[in-house]
Amino acid sequence: MNPQESRFNLNISDPENSVIGYVIGGGLKANLFVRLTVPAYEVQEGGFVVLESGNWQFYGLVTDLQLGALDPRYAEMQNAGRLSDSITRRLTSQTLYTNLEVLPALMLERGPEPGTAEYERWRKSLLQEPHPIPIKTVPAHHAAVRLASAGDVAEIFGNPQEKGKFEIGRTREQDHPVCIDLDKFVQRSSGIFGATGTGKSFLTRILLAGLIQHNAASVLILDMHNEYGFDDTASDTGKSVVGLRSKFPGRVRVVGLGRETKIRNHTPDFHLEIHESDIQPEDIELLTRELNLRETTPTTLDALVHHFGPQNWFREFRQMVVGSVVETDDGKKTPAPDSVAFWAKQAGVNETAAEGLRSKLTRVFNRKYILPDEEKAPLNSLREIIELLRNGKDVVLSFGDFESDLDYLLVSNLLTRKIREAWEEMTNNFRGKGEKEPRPLVIAVEEAHKILNREMASQTTFSTIAREMRKYYVTLLIIDQRPSQISDEVMSQLGTRVSGWLGDENDIAAVLSGLAGRDALRGMLARLQPKEEVLLLGWGVPMPILVRSRRYDEVFWQQLLGKDDRLTDDQAMKDLGY
Amino acid sequence: MTAIAIGRLLRANTTGCVMGCRLSQTTTPAFGEMVRIPLDDGTKIYGLVHEIFIDDDGLVRQLVSSEVSSEVIEDNRQNRNVPIEISVVFVGWENASGQVFHTRIPTPPLALDEIFRCDGREIQHFTSGNRPGYLRALLRNEEIPAVDLVTAHLKQVLSVSNAADAAEWRDQFLNEIIALLKDDYPQLMDILTAISTVIE
Repeated sequence: MNPQESRFNLNISDPENSVIGYVIGGGLKANLFVRLTVPAYEVQEGGFVVLESGNWQFYGLVTDLQLGALDPRYAEMQNAGRLSDSITRRLTSQTLYTNLEVLPALMLERGPEPGTAEYERWRKSLLQEPHPIPIKTVPAHHAAVRLASAGDVAEIFGNPQEKGKFEIGRTREQDHPVCIDLDKFVQRSSGIFGATGTGKSFLTRILLAGLIQHNAASVLILDMHNEYGFDDTASDTGKSVVGLRSKFPGRVRVVGLGRETKIRNHTPDFHLEIHESDIQPEDIELLTRELNLRETTPTTLDALVHHFGPQNWFREFRQMVVGSVVETDDGKKTPAPDSVAFWAKQAGVNETAAEGLRSKLTRVFNRKYILPDEEKAPLNSLREIIELLRNGKDVVLSFGDFESDLDYLLVSNLLTRKIREAWEEMTNNFRGKGEKEPRPLVIAVEEAHKILNREMASQTTFSTIAREMRKYYVTLLIIDQRPSQISDEVMSQLGTRVSGWLGDENDIAAVLSGLAGRDALRGMLARLQPKEEVLLLGWGVPMPILVRSRRYDEVFWQQLLGKDDRLTDDQAMKDLGY
Repeated sequence: MTAIAIGRLLRANTTGCVMGCRLSQTTTPAFGEMVRIPLDDGTKIYGLVHEIFIDDDGLVRQLVSSEVSSEVIEDNRQNRNVPIEISVVFVGWENASGQVFHTRIPTPPLALDEIFRCDGREIQHFTSGNRPGYLRALLRNEEIPAVDLVTAHLKQVLSVSNAADAAEWRDQFLNEIIALLKDDYPQLMDILTAISTVIE
């Protein structure tokens, strides 16, 4: 006999469908309180429970467990020497107890007892099949409470066998699969959060693999640390980590930033090189903090565009020289025609501001992946990426050795701006001219706080996408360890939030912002098991739930792709369009 | 076998009674023992002995201070005019059909009704089939030594029950006591401490 059982004489519950307690109070605002009738260790924070009350079934999440006593003296006094074991056991079971605090989330009408005349009448009166709805009332006192069964979990989160239902993990206590609806997931921007080392990258790989396999949207991954395309080695375990390109050779293209860039010793499918004419003033303004630009920058950039045109300003400015002078016939030194000052005088711009900007932009001008227009590569790689995405392929943009914030900000924003333009055009053509409906696109953004922080969010294309591109079939998948650094406006737009352990109070508050029951969920986030558990939240999931996340290993791939977990050559060729 | 009455009723109400009986070490019921009073209509009233009172008289006072033979002492013990008074608290009753109720009796027995000790079968009959609902009346009664009475009663019931029945009944009995007294920590701990000496 289990020592706990013998001491407290509690019923060890059957893991399936047995009652673990009964409702003793609470409400919609204050959560529900449940008296536990099984040992406390059988239920854990985050457990998914079902409350049965009359014709309704309620679904909730355990957010706290509290020890209680009818009289504090029962808890304070140990009676082992004073009373016999059997009496001690009985006294303990009747005077000491554990209460659960349950955050109620959904309710489902299940009707009278099946097989009865009342049930038949109720079925006939239904206008539509009952489905879980947000909670509007509370279960009665003494309503029975049990841990959710596999059927309950499937009722709420869907069955992994159904198309579009992707198993992201399993319930902690009873190991039932918990799914997210991928079609719903891509309809709004979403976020994966967690402190460093909590398995964000693995979880992201799992989700991305599910999205690619489901094939409901194209995926663009801005892979700052070269993790997702080719096979990698885990930094903590040293084990090999399979890349998406390896498992989806016909679907995923790895693009390396810059000519001759190698990613993990692999040659990417092609390289991304940016033409001077692709760069626009807003791409530079985005780098204000990174380059320590002054408030005169927009004026100077505006003058450059006005003077040279949007296609040529960058090239012309790049070719200008700071401090170049010529000597006039009378021996005076004046700005040379190729100097910044010469142009500034012509354009009526402050010379010092222009020269300062030119100097600060030297870091940008020196990027090897920005090609002079006369060196145009045979392939317009920017356009190629967009074409691939438009045609249902998935792209991993690996930054190779260009891992600085400058590279990440500049390239990701520029590429996203082009994508935004393309998808807006496609959507307008679809709506206005009846052309083909655009393929949904998910842009996965690592280190999202670098481009979606409060200071920069308003300037980047990403925040526009998070706010309004849902209508244009483009959404973001934000991956970050400091959600508190991300703009509130962007966070509020996130549909699905998947969060691993977070230690910082501000980060926890940011992840929970705008959600009902966030006070109850706050402690749960801080007590998640690092690397194993995640909390699913937000619009994209029917109710918050804590899951033990899936492992990114061979078993995962076999389950996702079948026994032969690599797409066949035929399938790959078919995917390529041959 | 015909049961022999241990005494007759002196006075009673619906809560309890006092009976008088001759002094005898063998027939006098012990503290906590269960007794029954059969009524003419077939009803049986059950109770527990909670006090035994031996009053004195002038002759006893004289004998206490005199030097008399053992025969005289014995004669005065057996043939006293003053009876032993035994107080009984009622714990329930049984109707003519044999149905047991752990509630207050409907009407008190009459004076001089006979009182009998309960044998094991009668104790089992009274205590089986129901949770011990009469504990409520005992534990709420401030005029009886509830802790000791309940402990003595428990001991008697366990002594006449087989092991399996005894264990089940004991658990019900303990549960009922804890349920009734859980809001009275000192009283509950007193009674559980006393019971611990009996059941271990």
